[in-house]
Amino acid sequence: MGSVKTLNPNADVMGRHAATFMCVNAAKGLHEVMKTNFGPKGTIKMLVGGAGDIKLTKDGNVLLREMQIQNPTAVMIARTAVAQDDVTGDGTTSIVLLIGEMMKQAERYLQEGSHPRVIVEGFDIAKKALLEFLDDFKTPVDASDREMLRCVSRTSLSTKLAPHLVEQLTDIVTDAVLTIKQPEQPLDLYMVEIMHMRHKLDQDTRLVKGLVLDHGSRHPDMPKRVEDAFILTANISLEYEKAEVNAGFFYSSAEQREALVAAERAYTDERCRRVIELKKQVCGDSGRGFVLINQKGIDPLCLDMLAKEGILALRRAKKRNMERLTLACGGFAINSVEELSPDCLGHAGAVYEHVLGEEKYTFVEDVKHPHSCTILIKGPNDHTIAQIKDAVRDGLRAVKNVIDDKAVVLGAGAFEIAAAAHLRSTVKKQAQGRAKLGVEAFAEALLGFVKVLAENSGYDAQDVLIKLQEEQERGSNVGLDIATGEALDPQVAGIYDNYIVKRQIILSAPVIASQLLLVDEVMRAGINMRGK
Amino acid sequence: MAMGMPYGLQAMLKEGHKHFSGVEEAVMKNIEACKALAQMTKTSLGPNGMNKMVINHLEKLFVTSDASTIVTEMDVYHPAAKLLVMAAKAQAGEVGDATNLVLTLAGELLGNAEVLLRDGLHTSEIAEGYQRASDKALSVLESLVLPGTDTLDVKDKAAVALRLRGAISSKQLGYEDLLAPLIAEACIDVVPSNPHNFNVDNVRIVKIMGGALPDSQVVKGMVLKRDAEGSVKCVENAKVVVYAQGVDTSGPETKGTVLIKSAEELEGYSRSEEEKLEQYVKAIADSGAKVIVSGGAIGEMAMHFIEKYGLLALRIPSKFDMRRFCRATGAVAIVKLQAPQPDELGFAKQIEVREVGGANCVVLQQDASLGSVATLVLRGSTEGFLDDVERAVDDGINAYKALCRDARCVPAGGASEIEMARQVADFGKKQTGLDQYAIARFAEALEVVPRTIAENSGLQASEVLARLYAAHAQGQVNAGVCIESGAPKDLAAEGIMDVYAAKWWAVRLATDAVVTVLKVDQIIMAKQAGGPKPRAGDGDDD
Repeated sequence: MGSVKTLNPNADVMGRHAATFMCVNAAKGLHEVMKTNFGPKGTIKMLVGGAGDIKLTKDGNVLLREMQIQNPTAVMIARTAVAQDDVTGDGTTSIVLLIGEMMKQAERYLQEGSHPRVIVEGFDIAKKALLEFLDDFKTPVDASDREMLRCVSRTSLSTKLAPHLVEQLTDIVTDAVLTIKQPEQPLDLYMVEIMHMRHKLDQDTRLVKGLVLDHGSRHPDMPKRVEDAFILTANISLEYEKAEVNAGFFYSSAEQREALVAAERAYTDERCRRVIELKKQVCGDSGRGFVLINQKGIDPLCLDMLAKEGILALRRAKKRNMERLTLACGGFAINSVEELSPDCLGHAGAVYEHVLGEEKYTFVEDVKHPHSCTILIKGPNDHTIAQIKDAVRDGLRAVKNVIDDKAVVLGAGAFEIAAAAHLRSTVKKQAQGRAKLGVEAFAEALLGFVKVLAENSGYDAQDVLIKLQEEQERGSNVGLDIATGEALDPQVAGIYDNYIVKRQIILSAPVIASQLLLVDEVMRAGINMRGK
Repeated sequence: MAMGMPYGLQAMLKEGHKHFSGVEEAVMKNIEACKALAQMTKTSLGPNGMNKMVINHLEKLFVTSDASTIVTEMDVYHPAAKLLVMAAKAQAGEVGDATNLVLTLAGELLGNAEVLLRDGLHTSEIAEGYQRASDKALSVLESLVLPGTDTLDVKDKAAVALRLRGAISSKQLGYEDLLAPLIAEACIDVVPSNPHNFNVDNVRIVKIMGGALPDSQVVKGMVLKRDAEGSVKCVENAKVVVYAQGVDTSGPETKGTVLIKSAEELEGYSRSEEEKLEQYVKAIADSGAKVIVSGGAIGEMAMHFIEKYGLLALRIPSKFDMRRFCRATGAVAIVKLQAPQPDELGFAKQIEVREVGGANCVVLQQDASLGSVATLVLRGSTEGFLDDVERAVDDGINAYKALCRDARCVPAGGASEIEMARQVADFGKKQTGLDQYAIARFAEALEVVPRTIAENSGLQASEVLARLYAAHAQGQVNAGVCIESGAPKDLAAEGIMDVYAAKWWAVRLATDAVVTVLKVDQIIMAKQAGGPKPRAGDGDDD
């Protein structure tokens, strides 16, 4: 400790005990904050941003992101949780809880004089054993089993939203993923557009098989609703583009200037006319609608021309929506007017505009073979919408994970109880010497999940744990029924977690816990120390 | 030491963060704040509600009893109270009326929740109980719908005015007989064949100071607070041409230079410009149009020719006003300065410049059959008063919209609340779980409406309540508070009714907000952002 001080008299240094104490306490502190969020009965946290904006959340990831943590240990744990979210989309609270529990258990042994290295060794053995155990424990599923997908998304959503919304969103999320699923192709969740409207109640959230764009036509005379419509997705500029070179003109009479104005327009008008021609060609007198969705701009003059032909034209569509549009409606996006042909047109049964105060929305619905869809979130205020949005994202990920993994894991704490029992009965016996301590600590830490789950639901943690363990020893898979505090069979209740989520937690939590335990000195030195 | 020995959340957060958790610290404090907010708006509830004087951050003065204005202008910062404000705003967005009911009810519910919390109930039990009670209350509300009100001829002025009286009388008591028919007339004028598509935007309000409220009138068409450009001030049965851009010589996008070698050429050029412009204006005049409306500036030269051909020129700089004008006249806005096609022309029965209260206004009068825009011209002595009347009229128009969608009405004057309270209380007594206490408290909270109406009218609240309960127990479910005598009275018979949808949303949103506030057990507040604070004068910087 003294040596650093000699090198840099300004440095802050913490010795071995203080450093361990700090790490353990930070982990415990974070554990304390997050544990009330855990499980379906967790409570909501209110985050107030710098500008007074309100966010309500139960989602661990959102909480960690918005909380602006500064303590170095806590930051490390928070980063792991963020990584967890990036890989799996769920389990952020779980990973923080597991790390916290592991540090708590380790602290007990450290205080009794064990060396951190010994415990870390035990963690490592336990981790390897658990990964094998998880592979045995998982339930392989058929990815097209809708009921199973619903179970998983329900489990994921119920930890983030109020119960009355869960059932409804479960179906929405599952169907959204099934809609965009194409055989032999990896799932791209970006093909599900998430759109929100501040309007009505949260129960009015729905799945639109088609697309919702958050802008409308810019011309008052364009049709507000077209049916049985051709959809042209284009990336053609329909406005006057200034020349790259600096050019000027000389004219000496008003006629000449008029001619110049006309010549300028001619080029843009020509392109617009080509679109109109195509419309006439495909629609004829059949009364079918024609919709142009352009990624580039359309100037008022062109809008006017299009409006006169009864074409609904949208300008400056988002790039990602262009991709989704072709997937939803068919056809393909064109980049120049030369490519225009009836083949590139998509089709939608109904395209209509919805005005909400100042905002306009365009619905492209009733498409034949949607490979892209929109989850339209509604809610009376921004925080409700934000909450649903975060949950929907996690729900989608959960469903995707099942399809990717082709396996699920029993939820409601069933895996944790079984894993803890496995560690104690088999792995601990195989471990040599003092590493047994680490294995024991890991097993105890796993049970922490069940305890928190019970606590949040208003039951006595020890009572519940013992009840469940007894049941488990009789050889069945048991989880906690949060409604009664009794044991239940997760398989019957349909509570399933993602395989990848559990795997990721087991993989990364021990790593961070080990790293933190092995810290024996914390130094803070550098330029920023000036003035302290 | 800079890093310290951190424990707990506080030490982990960035400097300046505040953090509250637990029932005592978070929930109770939240309830406290929400109650304070509700307490304030409560006295403005009902026909005899008091006005508030609010001065907002721009030093603008508001004198109003409209709850949504009060809370919007007050700039509430407390996060929990803000949730209530959001609920009130959602109500304003959905039905545009009964915002005060949301706040008052939510405040009362939270106040009652506080009592329950002190009794040792868990927040989740209270939340659950409230949720169930509100479901029950809403189903009771549905059964209270006055028979025969579900169908309404939205074109019948007398019937509509009768329904609108409730909404107006709670804001501008004494003027409801004056305003309700005016609003009804204006709304009926613009309602499309399918009343569902009624657009609030089509009823405009123009406030002109001077005169008195009884001088207010409805104009079938539009009133623009500006003068006509030229000397022609009045035309009748005229065709109208509308240009979205300015009326002037058009310039190319690319920069151009006029090349002139001699004085003759200069003169020639000017003349050619003038001729060109004259051609355009002549073409317009030839097409039969008598009125030119421009979205942008009208050039001086163009003005000259417009005068020459005796056209009325009008400038409407607002894009939205322009669209309305197009709708009102049936004209199509032309983007380029060119002679209009016959189908692009609109028609106006009369366009006239009138002097109203010292200001010149352009008045566009249409026949009822043509009009898709109607304007209410409000007259009044002060700006504050006019603003307040405008808000009342806004509420009235929104109420009309709500009526178009759902014409059902429920008894007013606290009658529906008492009946809901009575039935919810009965429902609560049949429950076995802990939530029965919450349900009972929910019922109690509903009493706040008749009680406040009575209190604001200077009556003995408890006595009024007791008499109301007695009347309802005898089956008079429509009995509400009579603000004159305090006796139970069937106000529906007098034509005072509340819109069902407004009540439904109010109960719904208030419950949702309350449940959200109750479920929050931890608040983490970031350091308040803002402009740079005044330097504290330490020499820390380089």
